Amino acid sequence: MPSLNYPDAAALTARLEGRLVDSLRSELTTTRRSVLGGLGLAGGAALAGVGRADSQGGTAAGHDDDSHGNFGAVGEYRDLAFDPHDYLTRFNTGHGESDNVPQDVYEEDGRTVREFTLTAVDTTITIAPGIEFSAWAYNGQVPGPTLRAVEGDLIRVHFENLGRHAHTIHPHLRNLDPSMDGVPTNGPGVLDTGESYTYEWIAQPAGCHFYHCHSLPLKEHIHRGLYGAIIVDPDPKRVAERPHEYCDFHPSQITDDLRADLVAEAESRNHAYAANDAINEMVMVMNGFDTNFDGDNEVYAVNTRAFAYGVGETDGQGNWEAGETKRPIQLDRTRRHRVYLINAIEFDPINSFHTHSQFFNYYDHGTALRPTHETVDTIMQCQAQRGIVELDYSTHDPGLYMFHAHQSEFAELGWMSFFEVI
Amino acid sequence: MSKPDGGTAMHRTERPLGLPRWVAAVLPLVLLAVVAGGFFATTPFASLDTGGEPLPDVTVTHTTLPDDETIVLHVTNNGPDPVTISQVLVADAYWDFDVRGAGGDATLAPRESAQVVIPYHWNPGWDLSFALVLSDGATIHHTLVAPSESPGLTTDLLVTMVVVGLFVGVIPVALGMLWFPFLQSMSDRWLHAILAFSAGILGFLAIDAGFEAFELAERVPGAFEGPALVALGIVGSLLAVQSVSAWRQGRADDGDAHAESGLWIAYLVALGIGLHNLAEGLAIGSSFALGRVSLGAFLVIGFMLHNVTEGPAVVAPLARGERPPVAQFLGLGALAGAPVILGGWLGSLAYSPTLGALFLAVGVGAILQVVWELRGMIGRRGRAGTALNLLTFLAGLLVMYVTDLFVAL
Repeated sequence: MPSLNYPDAAALTARLEGRLVDSLRSELTTTRRSVLGGLGLAGGAALAGVGRADSQGGTAAGHDDDSHGNFGAVGEYRDLAFDPHDYLTRFNTGHGESDNVPQDVYEEDGRTVREFTLTAVDTTITIAPGIEFSAWAYNGQVPGPTLRAVEGDLIRVHFENLGRHAHTIHPHLRNLDPSMDGVPTNGPGVLDTGESYTYEWIAQPAGCHFYHCHSLPLKEHIHRGLYGAIIVDPDPKRVAERPHEYCDFHPSQITDDLRADLVAEAESRNHAYAANDAINEMVMVMNGFDTNFDGDNEVYAVNTRAFAYGVGETDGQGNWEAGETKRPIQLDRTRRHRVYLINAIEFDPINSFHTHSQFFNYYDHGTALRPTHETVDTIMQCQAQRGIVELDYSTHDPGLYMFHAHQSEFAELGWMSFFEVI
Repeated sequence: MSKPDGGTAMHRTERPLGLPRWVAAVLPLVLLAVVAGGFFATTPFASLDTGGEPLPDVTVTHTTLPDDETIVLHVTNNGPDPVTISQVLVADAYWDFDVRGAGGDATLAPRESAQVVIPYHWNPGWDLSFALVLSDGATIHHTLVAPSESPGLTTDLLVTMVVVGLFVGVIPVALGMLWFPFLQSMSDRWLHAILAFSAGILGFLAIDAGFEAFELAERVPGAFEGPALVALGIVGSLLAVQSVSAWRQGRADDGDAHAESGLWIAYLVALGIGLHNLAEGLAIGSSFALGRVSLGAFLVIGFMLHNVTEGPAVVAPLARGERPPVAQFLGLGALAGAPVILGGWLGSLAYSPTLGALFLAVGVGAILQVVWELRGMIGRRGRAGTALNLLTFLAGLLVMYVTDLFVAL
């Protein structure tokens, strides 16, 4: 991923390093795993410190803010190799959108082929300030690269496994060839270290989809980081021909107005159309991390980093500042906003998405062009479920609006975020 | 007292109840066999049998990881009934497994041990939880903390254990024995203080190893009665060493000059320390075998500091009287220090908590006897409970406590 490009990144890095080294030194010398040269669970204390006053900004705030108004992990992220803000809008369509994802797009037998190279590697990622996690990752990032195609395209993935364990890629698509299903029992089976295979999948149906490793043990291979988003844009021409496939009406009920609406919605979803450019699209993968092998997540997040879309400092009275690495997602209120939401959580059966002061339309799996839930402010997803959230802040006052999992436990363990409407 | 009437007494003991002596000795056993046989034949308690079954009792004693694709759980059936391991869960997922060493099936007879071999690509340092699912649905849980590969039986390992044993056992004890000329130059008062210091050192070893033995006893399969085994080991070795000592005392009383010399006590001290070091070697070896330890330079230095204090304890009894030949010193050093190597081999090759707890207990018993012996030695030439002696005894305890902090395995 392209790294953050702040003007003072170097100075910031130096300062953060100093601060983190100071805070980690005492922890690192005592944890068992650091003795064994394994994970640096050093930041465990940071999470335990939720609620700690973080108001060194100097403003004389209300007297009770320190114990009730503040939340979130202490400190900033030092590792800038992955930028969750960049990840939000980094779609790979074959046109070379990411330096770390070799890709191409070309015509073959009258069909558009979008070709990607995915490589499974063992790496270390930062999941909360000062807390590192041994991850297995596609192209070194968690979540893996977002792949985007248009309905009917061929997605060709050259997969090479450079990890210590055997891996696969299993697509949540309507895939008609079992050998391309990416499971241990079919086709090439699991790919051992150094092996490679080329998967080919038809991009169908339109929607917000998911890919992940299907090696066993499944819980381990998924929650270590081997998952990502596949966005399949609807083809407006196909929608015009077969509108009943994109809504829950019988063909006999399709009126010209409905057809036109569906086609317009399809154009707004399809990255090749101008209507799509008007919409701010973001990918959010809800995930969690079990850092101590107890079969429960210690860190929850959307897009891997706990509180990454939180605020840096606040006194709880409207005086807040963005942190260098923890800052809200800025939304231009004159635009429409769309979230491709995916639940990649393990160990917990469900996850959820809740917006403050906002109701939205939700398209379960994104396979329909009419909302499956209208005017809701909370939706839930089971493991691997996903959908599309359409947000409109055009009549809201500028300011901070929370969004988070409405399992309070998940929220306070990291899945807590803000939109800053401007 | 009146004179014993030898004739009458002889008559009574030769023909009790008018029977030959051997009949009198065997009769209770025969009657016991008859009662037991009758019990099985007639089952008089059948009406009390309400069908309540004893609960399955299976222990996972330890785990070995021969390579990064294999996990071996060592299990023992403690219960009175056979148990069958029908399924195995790894991290809450059903997983492939093979039961070896239970006669070809997955059923363990009472007190039978076996290995559950699981093909699983584990990760160094990543904890794993296991559950053995028995045929009646009962589960036996075990957690493997921070796994790392077991070295297994290789020449390298044996050689490593010799080197480790030399450095943590033989060399420090030998270095400590070099204080001998200094000890010889001391007054009785200070020599006794040094002997009390040695007793303090040994006393701490006994306390420390005693707690460790009982701690380890908790992991001994229930069928072997861990705590009772430890108690038996302590009392048993105490009595064994004491009987050697009493035999020496008897020889000395009969006028054997050799038996009177300090060399005997020195050998007894060396034996006690040697038994203790055997247990220490066992702990080091098993830590290696279980992949539990990276024996860094720091740990080795810690053991050296810890064990160098054992040297003067061995030679202090020799400080009075004639200096024995050098060969005796070599013998004492080898007896006290070399068992670390033996223990290291045993621990790395045939580790089990049962063996570990027993060895620790034997060391404790031997040491307790030696402390008693040292007290007697001081007492023969002066008063044992002087303020100086008590303080140096305390100093010995403290020194060992401090050096022990360096060698937490």
